[in-house]
Amino acid sequence: MSKTNNIVDFLEAGIRTEMLRQKAIANNIANLETPGYRRIDVRFEQLLARALNSPGAVDLSKIEPQIHQPQQTPVNSNGNDVSLESEVGQMVKNTLRYKAYIRLLNKKYSQMQLAMDIK
Amino acid sequence: MEVNNTFGPVDIATSGLRANGKQIEVISSNVANARTTDVGNGKPYRRLEATFEAEDDGISGVNLDEIFPDMSDFHRIYDPGNPNADEHGYVAMPNVNVPIEMMNLNIATRAYQANAAILKRYQQMVETTLELLK
Repeated sequence: MSKTNNIVDFLEAGIRTEMLRQKAIANNIANLETPGYRRIDVRFEQLLARALNSPGAVDLSKIEPQIHQPQQTPVNSNGNDVSLESEVGQMVKNTLRYKAYIRLLNKKYSQMQLAMDIK
Repeated sequence: MEVNNTFGPVDIATSGLRANGKQIEVISSNVANARTTDVGNGKPYRRLEATFEAEDDGISGVNLDEIFPDMSDFHRIYDPGNPNADEHGYVAMPNVNVPIEMMNLNIATRAYQANAAILKRYQQMVETTLELLK
């Protein structure tokens, strides 16, 4: 990929991350009652911020969203730390972000279309 | 919990859902043990109560502060046939009042619903904003 960052690259990275995060949330909810299960989360924004703060252009294809276990939430009696309410909240936020990225991408494409339609 | 600007209301409503969910758990323990005369040490079940605290100064979510035992007196009922009865025939019963627990359950359920309503309404609001991008 070229070193110049256009908005489509950023949106693509964002959409990829939200897809993965949605999977992580689904996994957490599926394991709501699994003894000893610790919730997983996706780390991407911090990595992106760090890459953007460093000098030079960023290769977005090199920044992959990472799955990690925060291990900070309180554990209940069967060693599981998933809270259904928190996961639902995360999912709401995730869906809204995803929607925003898709709409922006759509907007970008219609701008391009508009430019091509000029006769 | 760190409150993100755009999604602040989501985090706050979620914290309300969690705190009230825990409150309902405490109430269900009280109701289930409303007639438990022995909790393992020969004493009746002591009613539990949960308190809430704000997560932070200013705009913030809520956290369950602590769950502490209600130290009010145990109820005493006359039941000489009960194996736990004292020499006068009285049995110490838990200090749980089921009608009060039901009232608390109503309050906690309504609070849970209110937080869910906020979450849903805020989601609709952000979606309205996103409609502008169409």
